[in-house]
Amino acid sequence: MAAVSPKERVVVVSQSSLLVFLYIFLYFPIFFIIYVSFVDNTVWPFPPVFTWEWYERLWIMSDFHLGLLNSFLIGIGTGALSSIFAASAAIGLLKYQSRLRGLFAVLYLSPLFVAGILIGISSLMFHRNILGLPGNLTSAILANTTQALSFAFLVILAQLTRYDWRMDEAAMVFGARPARCFWEVTLPTIWPSVLGAFLVSFILAFNNLEVTFYNVGAIPTLPTIAWGTLRHGIEPELYSLATVINGLVFFILIILFFLIRLGFVRLGYRGQ
Amino acid sequence: MSAALPHHLTSLQLRDIAMTEPALKLEQVEKSFDKVRAVDKVSLEVNTGEFFSLLGPSGSGKTTLLRIIAGLETPGNGTVHIGGRDVTRLPPYARGIGMVFQDFLLFPHKIVADNIIFPLKMQRLPEDKQKEQLNWILSLVRMEGYEDRYPHQLSGGQKQRVALARGLVSRPDILLLDEPLANLDLELRKEMEVEMRRFQAELDIPFIYVTHNQEEALTLSSRMAVMHNGKFEQVGAKLDLYNNPKTRFVAAFLGSPNYIQGQIKRMEGTIAILDWRGLDLRIPAPANATSGDKIDYFLKHERILIQSLRESEPAKGENRFEGTLRDIIFKGQHSAYFVVLENGEELVVNAATEMPSLKIRHAVEVGWLPEAGDAFLKEED
Repeated sequence: MAAVSPKERVVVVSQSSLLVFLYIFLYFPIFFIIYVSFVDNTVWPFPPVFTWEWYERLWIMSDFHLGLLNSFLIGIGTGALSSIFAASAAIGLLKYQSRLRGLFAVLYLSPLFVAGILIGISSLMFHRNILGLPGNLTSAILANTTQALSFAFLVILAQLTRYDWRMDEAAMVFGARPARCFWEVTLPTIWPSVLGAFLVSFILAFNNLEVTFYNVGAIPTLPTIAWGTLRHGIEPELYSLATVINGLVFFILIILFFLIRLGFVRLGYRGQ
Repeated sequence: MSAALPHHLTSLQLRDIAMTEPALKLEQVEKSFDKVRAVDKVSLEVNTGEFFSLLGPSGSGKTTLLRIIAGLETPGNGTVHIGGRDVTRLPPYARGIGMVFQDFLLFPHKIVADNIIFPLKMQRLPEDKQKEQLNWILSLVRMEGYEDRYPHQLSGGQKQRVALARGLVSRPDILLLDEPLANLDLELRKEMEVEMRRFQAELDIPFIYVTHNQEEALTLSSRMAVMHNGKFEQVGAKLDLYNNPKTRFVAAFLGSPNYIQGQIKRMEGTIAILDWRGLDLRIPAPANATSGDKIDYFLKHERILIQSLRESEPAKGENRFEGTLRDIIFKGQHSAYFVVLENGEELVVNAATEMPSLKIRHAVEVGWLPEAGDAFLKEED
């Protein structure tokens, strides 16, 4: 390797320091919570005394079990609705060239600019007063979908802009009706973005507090329980809860990563 | 159509009737986008076994016309018949046609075999039949052994073969081709031209071939139409179009000829004497031409004789001019000779490459008979 001039060395060192700093900034709070969830003295956890106590307490708190299940259901429902609606919206927007397409796109995206708490309150009013829906899981799923749809729409739109719609024309000329066309040609090409939209809206709804809080009634979800326990100060069980959820998400991502690396899952086709 | 047929005809007689129907019949087809008339009252009949080209510059409406035949656009007026059946209001998937697209448009997530049998799958053909057809078409396009490849693992020429196989596998009533060679390099294009003629001849399926490349159209087709501003300028056998252009546009387009402008000095029967910037030029008189008319005269490069001074005597009525050879561009079997005449006009002459008597910057003689070119009254824009 060629000799590195002092000037280059300065550049390399400063760039690496910035990189390290950014990662610490991003991950320190998360790793700190994981660390604290395993120690006895949570207020000032140095030097550490390791314990499983917070996990044991979390395990026996039945509220959390129910909350986990409900959050999961809200996530699944919202993910499914958002990705289906967002896919239809993005396909419609791109397939039918309209002069108003910019306006349509902004209308789909505008929930991004509205505070979550406003979506929560207005959904509550709308569901109760107009639809006559009581606060429950259905209401929470619908309310979360209004928010998650915008994110899902962005994710799908990003991939769909690269989709060649003449592919659909080709399928039609060769005898495929529009529905067949979608299943045989469009969906197999764009499904990674639909899956991505599902995951994003699942996670948003799973973790959501402000929208869910107003619409779920008295049904517990993980974020509403966590919010409720705050009244008694931050309980160490919350650290272990955060760790478990983070751990689950990382676990799923790692499995996905290896499935893709080892070729068990193909995320769409690979072009040249 | 079939409802009107008498009941006592046998299927064989019915087939004979079907055979006499043109494979494709367009009647007064029109299509406008906003206020632009993309296709303007086009009528056409193409018969089984024909290789028919639609030739025109971009924006001439040829692709729109092809899309109307495919059902991808609905005509504003007029009818489309395929195999004797009125398909004007039918969607593309009910028309039973094959098509080859400009960028091939192979399905990227399907292997070659699944791409090719896609039309058969849509027709719900039994799987053993699908397999049989697949093997037949693979051997026709010489792509055996590539069944399991994905499109991105193929070269341009192989993709082209797969696209053709997909278009032909169901033995459609008609195959539409939309500039299929536009994205191939020259060598591959020559190879595929030969192959396409072979497929067409073997299968006896009419090909409707859209191109802006006149060389392709002239090489491939039996008949062709030259399209301009949404209209057919001329339809006919390709040599007829090339040799006897009926309109100014066709004359100016096919063969990229020398373009000569002048004014008629006087008439001598069927011959008009043109003042061509000081030179007297004999041309065939266009209909209704009189002295003083402005004329466009198109002269194809290969119809001009070029020789050193006074190498031969001019034939009776021949145009003969002296000039200076400015440049020679070698093009293989023939070369292009650029000759500047005494009036300052330049002519391009195509002639054999081996002409040792011709030297750059030396005087040469060019000559042609009036009928060698095509004269039209100048159109007022």
